Amino acid sequence: MPVLRFKPEKLIKLTGLSLDEIMETLFKLKCESELIDEDLEVEINPDRPDLYISEGLARAINGLQGKRKGWKKPKIIDSGYSLEVRPPSTRPYIAAAIVYNVNIDEDFLEELIQFQEKLHDTIGRRRRKVAIGIHDLDKLPSKNLRYIDESLDADMIPLDDTRRYSIRQVLENTTQGQKYGNISLNTDRGTHPALYSGEEIIAIPPVINSNVTRLEPGTKHVFIDVTGTHRETVNKVLDIIVTALTEREGAYIGSIKIYTPQGEVTTPLLTTKTLRITRQLVTQTLGLELSLESITDSLGRTLHNVTIEENSIIVTPAPFRVDIIREVDLIEDIAIALGYESLGFNRPVVESPGKLLPESRLSRVLRELAIGLGFTEVTQLTLISPKLLDYTHFHERVEILNPVQYEYSALRPSLIPSLLSVAAKNVHARKPVKVFEIGMIVKPGSPPTDHLHMALLIMDDEVGYEDIQASVYSILRILDVDFKVEPTSHPVFITGRAARLLTSNGEELAIMGEVNPEILEKLEISFPIAVADLDVEVLARWKYKTSNRH
Amino acid sequence: MAEQVYRLSKSEYELLKKMQEKGVTEGYIEEAAEKLNVEKTSLASLIMLLSSKGLAKIDEEIESLAHLTDKGLKALEEGLPEEKLVKLLIEHNGSLDINTIRAELGNESGIAIGQAKRKGFITIEGNTVMLSGDPKKILDDLDELRSALRKVREDPSFEPPGELVKRGLIKIKKIKRMRFKLNVSPNKILEKSVVEVAKLSSNLISSGLWRRVALRAYDVSAEPPRIYPARKHFLVEFIEMLRDIMKELGFIEVRGPIVEMELFNFDVLFQAQDHPAREIHDTLWIKEPRRADLTEYKDVVERVAKIHEEGWGYKWNPEIAARLLLRSQTTSVSARVLTQQPEPPIRFFTIGRVYRSDVVDATHLPEFHQLDGIMGWPGYTFRDLIGILEEVARRLGLKLKLKPGYFPFTEPSVEGYVQLPNGKWLELFGAGLFRPEVLEAAGVDYPVGAWGFGVERFAAAVLGITDIRDLYTRDIGKILNFKIKLI
Repeated sequence: MPVLRFKPEKLIKLTGLSLDEIMETLFKLKCESELIDEDLEVEINPDRPDLYISEGLARAINGLQGKRKGWKKPKIIDSGYSLEVRPPSTRPYIAAAIVYNVNIDEDFLEELIQFQEKLHDTIGRRRRKVAIGIHDLDKLPSKNLRYIDESLDADMIPLDDTRRYSIRQVLENTTQGQKYGNISLNTDRGTHPALYSGEEIIAIPPVINSNVTRLEPGTKHVFIDVTGTHRETVNKVLDIIVTALTEREGAYIGSIKIYTPQGEVTTPLLTTKTLRITRQLVTQTLGLELSLESITDSLGRTLHNVTIEENSIIVTPAPFRVDIIREVDLIEDIAIALGYESLGFNRPVVESPGKLLPESRLSRVLRELAIGLGFTEVTQLTLISPKLLDYTHFHERVEILNPVQYEYSALRPSLIPSLLSVAAKNVHARKPVKVFEIGMIVKPGSPPTDHLHMALLIMDDEVGYEDIQASVYSILRILDVDFKVEPTSHPVFITGRAARLLTSNGEELAIMGEVNPEILEKLEISFPIAVADLDVEVLARWKYKTSNRH
Repeated sequence: MAEQVYRLSKSEYELLKKMQEKGVTEGYIEEAAEKLNVEKTSLASLIMLLSSKGLAKIDEEIESLAHLTDKGLKALEEGLPEEKLVKLLIEHNGSLDINTIRAELGNESGIAIGQAKRKGFITIEGNTVMLSGDPKKILDDLDELRSALRKVREDPSFEPPGELVKRGLIKIKKIKRMRFKLNVSPNKILEKSVVEVAKLSSNLISSGLWRRVALRAYDVSAEPPRIYPARKHFLVEFIEMLRDIMKELGFIEVRGPIVEMELFNFDVLFQAQDHPAREIHDTLWIKEPRRADLTEYKDVVERVAKIHEEGWGYKWNPEIAARLLLRSQTTSVSARVLTQQPEPPIRFFTIGRVYRSDVVDATHLPEFHQLDGIMGWPGYTFRDLIGILEEVARRLGLKLKLKPGYFPFTEPSVEGYVQLPNGKWLELFGAGLFRPEVLEAAGVDYPVGAWGFGVERFAAAVLGITDIRDLYTRDIGKILNFKIKLI
């Protein structure tokens, strides 16, 4: 979740509220905030990129406080700048605008860079989908701009440098180039998107801007370019930026004419759409009877423009509200404006009994019995180390393609390795060590499947097959399960000291035996161990089938 | 005045019995032990215990026992050195050169001359040694010493002349001997005795002997041996408590696969295919097989494709939806349940493991449990959803605070904070009404509320566990010593 950090003084000034009141209002706007040293840290949900800057937060707070209603389009003039596009195939879309009188000081520069970064990371999908360049308008060499696919040999002065390099060098040698250089590189043609102002490259989106147009404290007007792979998002991001910047005193927009092979377009688009809701829909969704006035007031305070038309409420959300997709999104805004705490609630009425899964019910019985037999319950992760599975000869297993840590890069196909790792940790504990676990295992397959199993383990100075057999038999006999026993072999067990149990219709119910000392040695366990693994689901199926007969 | 009662331990009682039988009531310990056929040491300690109860008197006697040393034995057989000298002088008419004496008596000559001179048997002039006094009288004196040596050999208790001890011919050993005498006769004691026992035994009860014994008082504040009952695991207990709450609220438990298709983990839930949560840093895919077969879900796939393409404006790719991952949320189970289009009203819940790309530390696990509940029917509202959150919090005994939230698949969305007993607010519930896009993808035509929470972080906070890894400890000691907390 994006976290903003900025000095709160401006927000206090823009809203006329105390810091406490601001934090309280932010909470109602889905944002958790915390004061850290002199800075306010605000956690913002990724559905509201319009809030990634103080100007956006102040706008929303003032709305919720009733200090402004709806949204008015800012002043727009024709800037006289033009942009010719020969769309690079890897990043075909661009939108651009000017905002005059932004008047950047040191604090705002920091916030602006943060705004840009948060937009990149979320809606921009780490610059793949959308990337933003912000330039000092007065430093642009020419009013004529071009966005083209350029040869890697073309040169530019990258940000924070004074020398000229080829695009190739910038991609290879700057940290920005190494991080983002592959996103829009056309490897077949050996080209990269470039934005020219006159004969100067002012940006190679999505990698880096030119130092020629760099922003600094004192910059008055800005030129913004937004490029990307999704036309609508590119335009929306530009809308978000210009509508935030025009919140600054005296700021207004200069539009830019863009010439593409498909035709001419002027950006920013500041497109809005219209949604239609009814009082009934609001009532049906929230479960609360609201007056028309209360609904329109709430929508106004969440900065939507509202008109009433017979039985419908016609809503035009501001262009920066990318999260408004359907009617429900407006209804949430109504609830937010009213305050969730004031909605009240309906206490649930239980009309029909609840029910647990058969295996959940059986697990409770199994836990009681195991405790009664003196086994202590452990619980382990299903993620397990492949090395442990190799040691214990469980080679058939599901492994993770992109694990974070090797120790957790496989799913256990049996509970036995988990319990053996518990035993290894308790070699010095008072004997006998008796533990059990009821938990999920995952069997490979197409697709792999998970199953609820139970395993029991005994470690003692002397312990054998009969000890674990006695425990398992005791449990199965109390459950009144018919079973057959037959010798089995698995390399985890000593040859001739392992058995499997089958239900009378031949399903495998359990395996048990004495653990092979070769494995004990590898796990540095100097005590004999006997272990059993039961399939709780087979047992549950069998148990509930036979119980229902009576 | 209360009648005198003698409280005896079982072994004291048995000893007195034997004393009564054998008529042994006094004497030296060694001798009595032999007569009574008991161990010397145990008899001694029992007599001491009886004496501490005033039933016996103990006298300690110190006895001297003499025995001949090697030198003493030699003197007994060959004569004392000065005796040898006197006899030599008699043979040589009363005088001899000192060098001749040295030659004759060897290394005994020094002692012989020294002793004889001290006792006045001889005088020395220059190199000549002369007998002085009556030889018969001298020999008689010496005979006395010889006979003392002999007597010591025959009877160690004979008290020898000090001279022989000083000269190292006789050694004296002092021995402590314990003599006892019962103050009261065994008959009398036994008649009025009560036996004290430490442990009441089956024998005592079935023989009726318990009536005649006294159950000794214990030091009840003494620390007993430490023992541990077999325990249920505290995390599992916590999960079972949640299951009970859900069942009581009329929810039916369901289950879904851990290895899941992206279709149910993301696509049905209206999470765009380029959503950051679906990137390599946040999603754990499996090696083999990479994809599942979507044929079985043809209808769902068609609806999902349409909704994504309309809603997000991109070309939806079934190949991505078919990829197999470790589910990142149990909402995938709810998504599956909804695609089966159950008849309303519905109340389902699941508790299962979910997986994240997190490095393990005190606050992160790569897998944890989530509880996910869904409920819905025609006319179900957001207030019904808040109601279930309120009710679950109430049954957990916790206060609830609401905050608007964001989840890609619900609208309106809400986060529920609960106040823990320590006063801190914990972000617990994520909830909301499923978006119309999700309901359309599933093919459900009534509103459905969904809510859930991660179990481990909540359990740790409630159970007072600061390191979340302790919930999955391998150390049995931590489970056996876990202090129970009730909420």
